[in-house]
Amino acid sequence: MPPTVPLVWYQILAAILFTIGVVGVLVRRSALVIFMSIELMLNAVNLSFVAFSRQHASMDGHIFVFFVMAVAAAEVAIGLAIIVAIFRNKETASVDDVHLLKG
Amino acid sequence: MDLATLIEAVVKVHVVLGFVLVAVPLIVWMERKVLGHMQDRIGPQRVGPFGLLQTIADGIKLFMKEDILPSQSDKVVYFLAPAISIVTALAAMTVIPFGDTVWLFGREIALRITDVNIAILFLLGATSMGVYGIVLGGWASNSKYPLLGGLRSSAQMISYELAQGISLIGVIMITGSLSLNEIGRAQEKLWFVVPQFFAFVIYVVCSVAETNRAPFDLAEAETELVAGFHTEFSSMKFALYFLAEYANMMVVSGVAITCFLGGWHGPLLPGPLWFFIKLTFFLFFYIWLRATFPRLRYDQLMAFGWKVLLPASLLNLAATAVFLTVKG
Amino acid sequence: MFESLLFAVFAGIAIGCALGVVFHRNPVHCALLLVGVLLSVAGIFILLHAQFVAALQVIVYAGAIMVLFLFVVMLLNIKGETPLLTPGAAKGFGFLFALIVFVELIWTAVQPAAEGQRMAEALPLPADFGSPAALGRVLYTVWLYPFEITSILLLVAVVGAVVLAKRKFF
Repeated sequence: MPPTVPLVWYQILAAILFTIGVVGVLVRRSALVIFMSIELMLNAVNLSFVAFSRQHASMDGHIFVFFVMAVAAAEVAIGLAIIVAIFRNKETASVDDVHLLKG
Repeated sequence: MDLATLIEAVVKVHVVLGFVLVAVPLIVWMERKVLGHMQDRIGPQRVGPFGLLQTIADGIKLFMKEDILPSQSDKVVYFLAPAISIVTALAAMTVIPFGDTVWLFGREIALRITDVNIAILFLLGATSMGVYGIVLGGWASNSKYPLLGGLRSSAQMISYELAQGISLIGVIMITGSLSLNEIGRAQEKLWFVVPQFFAFVIYVVCSVAETNRAPFDLAEAETELVAGFHTEFSSMKFALYFLAEYANMMVVSGVAITCFLGGWHGPLLPGPLWFFIKLTFFLFFYIWLRATFPRLRYDQLMAFGWKVLLPASLLNLAATAVFLTVKG
Repeated sequence: MFESLLFAVFAGIAIGCALGVVFHRNPVHCALLLVGVLLSVAGIFILLHAQFVAALQVIVYAGAIMVLFLFVVMLLNIKGETPLLTPGAAKGFGFLFALIVFVELIWTAVQPAAEGQRMAEALPLPADFGSPAALGRVLYTVWLYPFEITSILLLVAVVGAVVLAKRKFF
């Protein structure tokens, strides 16, 4: 049964979500919100994969999403541990304040 | 989707909702009476025959109480947290089968609200989202004890979720399907509690921990953290949390019955009646646990979940897989 | 018609919540709005017949990863930053690069399919498309090697997180 919504609309939605994530990473200063914007980008990519998988009627897109989720989980665990460690040292979660190596 | 299916769905939703709203006062009454008798006292006996109307009186009291809103709390999240708890608990009720099918008004009506082919995953998702109700309730109150209680409670819930899910995989492997209806139907000859006894025990223990009931209720015990995550909630919001806790108990009991205790199968009586008998037995077992065991300390609780139940459920999974492969 | 309506609703919620994630001051609100995005994307997955991936999204992403985020935000008790955005010209450059990325993605998406390649129409689906059985069939045969590597990756992540979060090394 063909989808009533043309698949290019899912790609456009994924592009919009990805761009909002890019804005979040480039423009916000809180490390946690930057991290959340990265998760937003990963989700946009997942959406794109699943839409393509529907188009080609192949499960490979779903496999990719599975692995992206597993890697995202690992990344979030380590990233948050790093943020917690930095916060313990410097009492701040803003990326502008972590500039000890700056020229 | 034609009109008859729509009406059928709406009626079923109302029936199940009505059942939950009527059953919760009865469960509360049963708890107070049974706890009372196990503790060598009588429990409520004045309001109505055998104290049956006590819970209704308590409900009216809760309804009439002043709805306090802490001034520094996060208003939106404070409002949302009990709603999340009750919505996820009721959403999980939609896939539990109360019986097989009946013929009414010339249609074959299945005795469950719906049946998705990934019903167990849907249930796991609903209970995962239920954690938010607790952690947000604790945070939104903007107060020490609720925050600590909420964080402890949600850490406990996400720890025991794992062992709970893995213990169900043995049943899924035997049936070959994630649909609760299929699992219920597959137990016509032999209830899965017999081949999967250890998984049953692990599942029941994890469910008690998931619903924050004794002996795993450190996060909301009166002597420990005032009332844990729902300290600052009053009147209807507290009533919603209360309702959500008992609805969650019914959901996990329903899943245990469907996956291990044969669902609606039984010798003489109709399917739904057997389901309710088994449900009553399960709830009595919950109350019995509360009356019998002392509370676990928080580190004992977490150690038990991660170091004992999770390896045990993985062992059960491995043993089931090996057995099924060898059997062919 | 129903499908288009559902897509419009889910897409609207996703974009609204995504904008909220990026432009809200309080990190807890940002995390909750991100949960909203994840749930609406899970709804869109179900529209695309990807039931198992939708369930994984709710259980793993919205139910575990975001709870971890919320824990860290609540324990560190981080207030919102003032001012909200990166100061100065860097903010302008940020929006400009995001605009460039957006234009590039949209242009790639709406391009017509090249000659001789598969038509940009959806192929008919097998009956159990998107079910756990279909995913398992492919995962444990064709993609077994990445699956095993992922398990080692997760082990490394667990060990790393425990070591990083310790207060002192013995």
